[in-house]
Amino acid sequence: MKKFVLLCTIMLWTSSALAHFGTIIPSDDIVTTDEDRTISLQLKFLHPLEMHYMDMVRPQRFGVMQRGTVTDLLGSLERAEGKSADQEELSTYWTTDYRIKRPGDLTFFVEPQPYWEPAEDLYIIHYAKVCISAFGLEDGWDQPVGLETEIIPLTRPYGLWTNNLFTGQVLLNGKPVPHAEVEVEYLNESPGNTDIVVAPSDPYVTQVVKADADGVFSYAMPRAGWWGFSALNEADRTLPRAGVEKNIEIGAVYWVKTVDMP
Amino acid sequence: MKMINRIAVCSLLLIGLAVSTAQAHKINVFASVEKGEVIVESYFADGRPVMESRVMVFDSNENQLLETRTDREGMARFPIPKVDRLEIVVREILGHRSSFMLEKAEVEAGLEAKD
Repeated sequence: MKKFVLLCTIMLWTSSALAHFGTIIPSDDIVTTDEDRTISLQLKFLHPLEMHYMDMVRPQRFGVMQRGTVTDLLGSLERAEGKSADQEELSTYWTTDYRIKRPGDLTFFVEPQPYWEPAEDLYIIHYAKVCISAFGLEDGWDQPVGLETEIIPLTRPYGLWTNNLFTGQVLLNGKPVPHAEVEVEYLNESPGNTDIVVAPSDPYVTQVVKADADGVFSYAMPRAGWWGFSALNEADRTLPRAGVEKNIEIGAVYWVKTVDMP
Repeated sequence: MKMINRIAVCSLLLIGLAVSTAQAHKINVFASVEKGEVIVESYFADGRPVMESRVMVFDSNENQLLETRTDREGMARFPIPKVDRLEIVVREILGHRSSFMLEKAEVEAGLEAKD
């Protein structure tokens, strides 16, 4: 109970510093031929460390790319609701099941509807991606989907041990973003994470790394579970709200899973 | 001391080479059934096909039903030999092997697609 009260208190302290992350988390990141070939995916809009949910309306686009072919999966999404322990209202998120039919890396991606954030007076669109290895054919994880902004992994994004260094490249309209700022957060909801991480102060909640001149960044992940990388940029377009044009924050988000070495 | 360091570096390089070779030679098999036909794909992790290698098919009682070979694309196709759980084994020339289990339900579903 003490721990819960402490967590809630810290959440209140850190509320001004919360980082939004589009999440796309599969039930597994590696599927072998002797396992169930159906995976489930959850699409949420979260503060990953604090486990705070935000409403996510039905995405604009959701699909998977395998061997260079993109398949639209938007129609398969089913609405679900969730919240953190200290939230009163339930928030909408989306789930689906996907049966893997062929070997080869599967990059799932989501483009949400613009999310209005009054505190920042802007819209947020986080393009989130995750890669699943299917049946031992490690082909395609480093290929772009062609989203407005996206992170291209330079580290194979599955089969990662805790403390591995994840390296990625930030693209905006297909071109590297020099010196992009990348936020990194741990997903406290990670399956198997029985000991919720409580950050001792704000800077521990969201880690920040800067990319080099080629938009390449790295981060070593210190705990088993899912880690989100989010590179934020301002879109070169606006969206109207009550007759006023508002800026759009577009995020390139990528999720990877780490496992403790036995 | 320098010599010890060199030996250590060489050892690491050799271990690395051995590991990467082992990984590169691990073969994978995947099979599906479409329109009454079993389609077998065999490939290395990096996507290269396992070419011209033996493909053996066994039923649930471990009786061999047929033998064929993969083509230059690492593919093999043949009509469903039996409506049963089928084990498909691919063995390449250096002796590396891998297998895939096609469950009876998948075979039956593939039969239905023929109609």
